[in-house]
Amino acid sequence: MAKLLELPSREPLHGYQLRVVQEVLLALLARDASHGYELRARLTLALGPLAVALNEGQVYVTLGRLEKSGLVSSRRVGQVDRRDRRVYELTPAGRERVVAWLEDTSWPKPAPAEFHLKLVAAATAGLADPVGIVDRQRHELLSGLREAQRAALAEAEGSVAGLLLEGVVLRLQADLRWLEACAGYWSQARGRS
Amino acid sequence: MNSNSSVLSARELVKDYGSGAALVRAVRDVTLDVASGESVAIVGPSGCGKSTLLYLLGGLERPTAGTLQLAGVQLERLPEAGLARLRRHALGFVFQAFHLVDELTALENVELPALLAGASPHNARVRAVELLARVGLADRVGHLPSALSGGQRQRVAIARALVNEPAVVLADEPTGNLDGAATTDVLRLFEQLHADGQTLVVVTHDERIAATADRLITMRDGEFMDEARLTGGSARSLGAMTGLEG
Amino acid sequence: MRVAGRLLFVCRLVRGDIKRRRVQSVLLLAMIATTTTTLTLALALHWVTDSPFARTRAATKGPDVAGLFEPGFHGNVGTYQQFVALRRASGVLASSGPYPIASLELSARGHLVRVHAEGRDRQSAAVDQPLLTAGSWAAPGGVVIERGFADALGVHVGDPILLNGRQLAVRGIALTSAVPTSDPLIWVTRSALLASADKSRPLWYALNLKLSDPASVPAFTNAHNGGPNTAWFLESSQGIRADDSATISEEQQLLQVGSALLAMIAVAGIAVLVGGRMAEQTRRVGLLKAVGATPRLVAMVLLAENLLLAIAATIVGVVVGRLIAPALTSPGNSLLGSAGSPALTLTTVALAAALALAVAAAATILPALRGARTSTITALNDPARPPQRRPRLTALSARLPVPLLLAVRLAARRPRRMLLSIASMAIAVATVIATLAQSHATVLGVQIAGNILAASRHNSVDHVANVLSVILLVIAAINLLFATWASVMDAQRPTALARALGATPRQITAGLAGAQLGPALIAAVLGIPIGLVMYIAADGNEATAHLPILWPLAAIPITLIAVAALTAIPARIGAHRPIAEVLRSE
Repeated sequence: MAKLLELPSREPLHGYQLRVVQEVLLALLARDASHGYELRARLTLALGPLAVALNEGQVYVTLGRLEKSGLVSSRRVGQVDRRDRRVYELTPAGRERVVAWLEDTSWPKPAPAEFHLKLVAAATAGLADPVGIVDRQRHELLSGLREAQRAALAEAEGSVAGLLLEGVVLRLQADLRWLEACAGYWSQARGRS
Repeated sequence: MNSNSSVLSARELVKDYGSGAALVRAVRDVTLDVASGESVAIVGPSGCGKSTLLYLLGGLERPTAGTLQLAGVQLERLPEAGLARLRRHALGFVFQAFHLVDELTALENVELPALLAGASPHNARVRAVELLARVGLADRVGHLPSALSGGQRQRVAIARALVNEPAVVLADEPTGNLDGAATTDVLRLFEQLHADGQTLVVVTHDERIAATADRLITMRDGEFMDEARLTGGSARSLGAMTGLEG
Repeated sequence: MRVAGRLLFVCRLVRGDIKRRRVQSVLLLAMIATTTTTLTLALALHWVTDSPFARTRAATKGPDVAGLFEPGFHGNVGTYQQFVALRRASGVLASSGPYPIASLELSARGHLVRVHAEGRDRQSAAVDQPLLTAGSWAAPGGVVIERGFADALGVHVGDPILLNGRQLAVRGIALTSAVPTSDPLIWVTRSALLASADKSRPLWYALNLKLSDPASVPAFTNAHNGGPNTAWFLESSQGIRADDSATISEEQQLLQVGSALLAMIAVAGIAVLVGGRMAEQTRRVGLLKAVGATPRLVAMVLLAENLLLAIAATIVGVVVGRLIAPALTSPGNSLLGSAGSPALTLTTVALAAALALAVAAAATILPALRGARTSTITALNDPARPPQRRPRLTALSARLPVPLLLAVRLAARRPRRMLLSIASMAIAVATVIATLAQSHATVLGVQIAGNILAASRHNSVDHVANVLSVILLVIAAINLLFATWASVMDAQRPTALARALGATPRQITAGLAGAQLGPALIAAVLGIPIGLVMYIAADGNEATAHLPILWPLAAIPITLIAVAALTAIPARIGAHRPIAEVLRSE
């Protein structure tokens, strides 16, 4: 019996890990040193309503990692030795890293291949109707769009978080357009067969 | 759905164009019920017949077959004059091309349906001012359409559609001629209208408008393929779409 | 091969366009044809000269000199023999007579008229041979009556008459170009004349001479007319012509005025035509440019389409003009000039064709120039000159009931077209009023003067005026139809929008037709005084004595009703077009 392919879990159990949280924290330290809690506050501000998805201890764990890598240095302030109270500061290596990140133009890659192959597989194997799959996915994305749009409209004019949400909305719109095209193709293919 | 509570009720609507070999069936056996306060979005690719359907629903075109009831009145039996009279109070129209009268100011454009319905000039004016304020154009009442941006023009058109307190507002690709920022303005307005309890039927291929609706109907080749009720996602699923993942 | 390709392109476009808009093309054709007809008529009328007179003269062997021996009338110097000897005077080529003449009383159909009777047994003569147009020549018991006189009396061949109490019948009706006196002319047999004449007075005699050199006529008459006491009198044909030309010139004047009026209405029509086409032609230019056509190609396409219509219209216009013209060009019933008279010469046709081509050129060049000047995008997006904003009118119309609201706003959209409509309608109203005033005066005049021949002159003028009025009315009506239709087309979008917003088709129809009523009212109000002025100018002093005031005022309601009826048709058609079609085509 072939081993079932294990797909990576889509929902981590404890919030989401910010992939580039390291770079962001380094950049936030570029101007001057900050307390741990200050860094967390600024990050929360930039993310707006999405900040709730950020894990509680995420920031402090990452700061620890950065220190271990020699990109930041920290010192204790006051009696209590807690991560959020420590003052963090960029090292020269850390500064180099920030500059490199800011100049980097790599863009998160769009990845339609997986869904595309899902549809092909469904059609070839006759296991499910591709149009049905597309429609279900559309509903899902539309719900997401609805939520993102509501959140975007609720933001004040000129809010930086609103910009992020606009990005979400537009990406989802682009994906939905492609899904519409998929639906058109596969319903025609169904008609042909 | 109980037809008594629906504001708009269509049964097996059919619309054909041309004849013989050149016959095109733009709308095939469409059945639709819209309850009061509901907001319905009809989406589909161009040429799928959604605009034609909207014009049928608004009595701007006669169906080849099928029945249609609007605000309790059967439309097939009405002559043209009767349809016009019904439109006064039962419908508000928003068009893709705005269709504002070029030589009238925003205020005069908005009060026009009220005047056509027989309101006194004073009342029409008061109502028009009120509506223009509601759509955020209080400072532009005296402007001609040529002096307004696309988004502003559409907002004037929306105000015009509301002046006679219609039972249903029908919108045909309201953001079709608008750019991103203007679309957002119109979006906001539609959300507001919906929140105020206005019944809306919007035809669009813009997913953002579609996402504001309670019911989303997909149309293809003249018929309804799919209907969905959109439920809101959570901030967590939102996060996944932002790229906030490990 | 490039030329062939271009030609094909042009042909396809033109054919496609005309097919697509059949109604519009037909209306356009009618409009240009009307304009052409109008100008054809105008030209024909303008050139009515005394050629009918010349024709009559030739057909009846008209004399150069007519002599009348009338002892006791002017004087008694000179004998009958001397008079007759004039036949053999030097310079005389041919002669006829002397014929006895008498002044008799003729009674026919209730009229009693003093006539000039000539005793002639035979119709044929070397000079002055009357041309029979009905019946046969005088014989015992029968008389021949001059045609103008016969028309005025209303007698036909076979009718009984009383001549100085003697019962006779009309045997024939004839034309002549020798009418020396103002009493109407009849011919009887010699014996009948001698029997009927007043025995107590000497008979008079008439002599007709043809000279070998027509230019020597004045010298001849001077030489042989004795002093003031001579028993005879010689008159040259120019003198005769002068008599009749009084009649002709009155009508000719009228026809010239008529031609001017027709030309004015034609110009108004053309202006509406060209203006109405401008918008869509500009758009087409934009489209063609956007597709990549060179300016030359664009001009070719426009010209081809308009030329086709113009040529078709010219043909129609000239044919119709030829058919109508005879109704007008029959001046002076005594003279030839009615049956199948080609008052149309080749020059006229050529001029009419030139006009049609000019219209085509104007309809082509103006938009082509405009299109070339404006950028392609502007031409495509904003084809029509947007109507001007009129805040006061808009505010005023808001207080009116819906049909009036629509009428006022629609009328205010195109003020220039409104002015042209007013001009065209005012001319028509004015002419009708002038004509009616004229015939009203004629009736009075006849009653007062009791002169049959004067009445017949009036009748003939009347006839021309009536026909002219009818033609002007018809043309004004066509102009109005076209102007209304152009307005309906121009107002497609706003009216469709109004219907979508809740205006009923009836309200739209009333609005579209009503938009023409304002101009109609102004036209009627203007037309009445203009018409009366025209009438006074034509008739001089007699007119002011009997100036009608009350009944011309009826022109106002009549014009309004007529205009409403006419414009209701295109208005109704416009109000029932499917809304979605119009709104969606943007």
